[in-house]
Amino acid sequence: MRLPAGSAWMLGVFAGAVALHADRLPPLYWLAAAACAVWRWYDDRRGAQRLPSIWLRVLIALGLLAGVLLQYRTVNGLAPGTALLVSMGSLKLLETRRDRDRYVMIGVALFLTLAAALDRQALLRAPLYFGVTAAACVALIYIGAGATTVPLRSALGLTLRTLLLAVPLAIALFLFFPRPAGTLWALPRETTALTGLGDSMTPGGISQLSESDAPAFRVRFFGAVPPPAERYWRGPVLHDFDGYTWRRERGRIYRMATLEYSGPAYRYKIMLEPHEGHWYFALEMPTGAPHAGVFMSFDYQLLSAEPVTEVVSYELTSHTATRSRDALSALAQRSATSLPPNRNPRSVAFARELRRRHAPVDAFIEAVLEHFRANGFSYTLTPEILDLDSVDDFLFNTRAGFCGHYASAFVTLMRAGGVPARVVTGYHGGEWNPIGGYYIVRQSDAHAWAEVWIDGRGWQRIDPTAVVVPERLTRGLYDVIPGAQSGVARFARRLPLLQRLRESWDAIDAWWQERIIGFDLRSQFALLRGLGFDAPQWRQLGWLVAAALVVWIVALLVLMARERPPRLNDPLAVCYRRLCNYCARRGVPRAPHEGAQAFAARLRRERPALAARVLPLLREYVELRYTPIAPDTGAQRLRRLRRELRRLRFGVA
Amino acid sequence: MHALSRRLRTRLATRFARWIRARQGEDRLPLTLRRNRLYILPTRAGLGFTALVVMMLLAGLNYGNSLALLLGFWLIGFLFVALVITHRNLQGLQLASATLSPAFAGDAARLSLQLTAPQRRRYALQLSLPSATARLDAVDCGGSARLECALPTVRRGRYPLERIGLQSTFPFGLFRAWTWLHLPFELIVYPVPRGVRALPASAEEADQGSAPLGAGHDEWSGLRPFRDGDSPRRVVWTAYARELPLFVKEYSGASAESLLLDFDRLGGLDTERRLEQLARWVIDAERRGARYALRLPGVRLDADSGPAHRRRALHELAVFGCAESGR
Repeated sequence: MRLPAGSAWMLGVFAGAVALHADRLPPLYWLAAAACAVWRWYDDRRGAQRLPSIWLRVLIALGLLAGVLLQYRTVNGLAPGTALLVSMGSLKLLETRRDRDRYVMIGVALFLTLAAALDRQALLRAPLYFGVTAAACVALIYIGAGATTVPLRSALGLTLRTLLLAVPLAIALFLFFPRPAGTLWALPRETTALTGLGDSMTPGGISQLSESDAPAFRVRFFGAVPPPAERYWRGPVLHDFDGYTWRRERGRIYRMATLEYSGPAYRYKIMLEPHEGHWYFALEMPTGAPHAGVFMSFDYQLLSAEPVTEVVSYELTSHTATRSRDALSALAQRSATSLPPNRNPRSVAFARELRRRHAPVDAFIEAVLEHFRANGFSYTLTPEILDLDSVDDFLFNTRAGFCGHYASAFVTLMRAGGVPARVVTGYHGGEWNPIGGYYIVRQSDAHAWAEVWIDGRGWQRIDPTAVVVPERLTRGLYDVIPGAQSGVARFARRLPLLQRLRESWDAIDAWWQERIIGFDLRSQFALLRGLGFDAPQWRQLGWLVAAALVVWIVALLVLMARERPPRLNDPLAVCYRRLCNYCARRGVPRAPHEGAQAFAARLRRERPALAARVLPLLREYVELRYTPIAPDTGAQRLRRLRRELRRLRFGVA
Repeated sequence: MHALSRRLRTRLATRFARWIRARQGEDRLPLTLRRNRLYILPTRAGLGFTALVVMMLLAGLNYGNSLALLLGFWLIGFLFVALVITHRNLQGLQLASATLSPAFAGDAARLSLQLTAPQRRRYALQLSLPSATARLDAVDCGGSARLECALPTVRRGRYPLERIGLQSTFPFGLFRAWTWLHLPFELIVYPVPRGVRALPASAEEADQGSAPLGAGHDEWSGLRPFRDGDSPRRVVWTAYARELPLFVKEYSGASAESLLLDFDRLGGLDTERRLEQLARWVIDAERRGARYALRLPGVRLDADSGPAHRRRALHELAVFGCAESGR
């Protein structure tokens, strides 16, 4: 027995909705869903209702609920909610008997789609969400049709037509429906480990740097673009060192040294990919926080109250040169020169010795950098694992490392020599995307450098890595170290076409993230300004929504009220209709009750001149229609009739 | 509490039905379903779907999630269009004619509506009466289709036809569009033809005591043109085959067998039994080809035969003692 179409579509839609979560969902749940679906399918095919008893179903339900609780410790939140929804939906499959149950299943599937949309908004996934939603609408048709067979083509056509007609309204509402400025209530979500900068740095523990091509953020400059060597993107600032790992300052706040900005001002917009941390990146040195909810900490980090779980975009202004005439407080001085006791003894001794010989701070810094330059230090992405006195090991043993090693060692030496210093992490560089008109900064552009306090000038950036590999600052990591690229990227770089495709895709992706996913109240107000509203307000958005609604409904009704005559697949019938229309335009419409013969007779009576032209064709039509003719001659005569008809209608000789 | 709410609901429904009846008036055929008599409301599934879309929008607005908002707005538009499509599935549909055939008590009476769809193809139409439902898959564009519904009957009598709901949830089952039809029809339910008494002797026999039952041979007195209600058995088919108009043989009254079916002669039975017996006799007499007269208190049908006469006789039996219905 065939599976009823309503059931089949319901199963398909549910399966599709579960598949949207397949990679995040623990296997238990989608296996349960698959098992229930197969059971249902098999049961429907046999036409027998041999579904599990209520007790077994309750047992399975409790089991799955316990599974969710064990796995997530809560049922509140996106991931546990999804798991719960999938398991309850699977169970519902085992008791769908009536249409009502099937509608409930479609609701569950749409809910799962919503959860997926809340979870991830990548451009490649969006069509899947829309697809599952459209399939759910088709399923509604088949569930409603019951035992009646509906041809697939008409069901699909009807759904697509309906959904297409809905698109203009969706776009208008998307643009103009007033959005709230912030979150009304928060969705508990678990932090997933994303690649990217963390709030600690352990250079000695890394033997291979990640080569992730994933974008960290994209930058669009308004006006001047800083030279490549100045493109330092400031992220977490690390103060605490235990001899092996650098961490952010916790619990202590110092006075922020006031900055004097100099040099050109760069205005730009950053589209930041989610990284689950609280920090925003900015070109060194931003003039302030971009908007409410983000503040600048005493060490010039931009920190937001909420973790960055979705793409955020913000506009900033930065100057690449700063100075501060303030004095460093004694407390801050102590913190910025503290080192763990009894760790890295050789380095500490070396720094003190060096400082004794070079008393001025500038001379000391230069001496340390000279040490890196002169003693065979090299840059590598695959350093050796260092022992617990990591700076000693690096400075006197391995002498090969990446930016983290150099920053860590440099700051340690500075602090040992009595100069306040700290590690700054972030990104350096950025790749120009000519199609999107922005710079893309990838995870592989991650960088670490140092900041030292110089009295009278304030915190100043020193990049020890630049001393070892000066090209790194101007040419990018990939050109300096051939092995530093993933295979695909390396391959793509060799082929201009492929590179071009990659850039295009990234530009489309960026557009999607910036314009669609990042569309918010601020974008709406910008749109209003573009439309000529000088002082954008919520109320204007409301009026626009109302206007769009009215226009759309009127257009819809007009569009649908235009009745089209039924499509004729029969070429002979088309000929006949055209012939009748031809006469109708000349004042002799064929009455609905008139057959071709009666019409011909009336034509002859009323309009002999017109009849003389039309009658031969009409007669031919009657013959072709009502007398048996061999198919090949019939086709030939039909062609001739159509030709004659064209000649009649358009006067073509 | 539950009973109270149900009573309240019934009362409200009755009020509403009466209001609609007064608003629309009685329907004359043929009629076109125009906007002013079409009603549309979301179904249960439609309400659920709407709630889901609202939830999507709330989630999208709350989390500033553009994708959820886009999905939600898209489905809002979808709901709107679905509403219009469902409405259009009924709008402009024409009810060309309707027939309601009588039935014997216990059998099903047949209500048949001839629907035509001048503008476009219509799908999944449903007819609903309090006592029965029927379904029609499609009415082709420019074509017509017959929607038939079997109405169960219980007792003989004349019943005003309840209002008819013609509805559709096509295509997505999210909205139900419907209209109420108030057709000026009466459902006539004949008494069950049942009884053991023998057919009374023919009128002549009773009067003169001559020719035995059923022996009357057909001696025709002439031809006359066919009239509606004439028995096909009397049509001169041979003449029709020669492309002449339909003619019917006329018999001289004296030679045809003529029976008298009289209510008053059925002593010892109550009224309903007598009516049932009379119905039995009408059918038997007609089957035999005899002419028969019917006498009921206050009713007098002269002797005749043929389907029209049979119908008239059975009708009288059905409505005997019933007041004219309130229409």
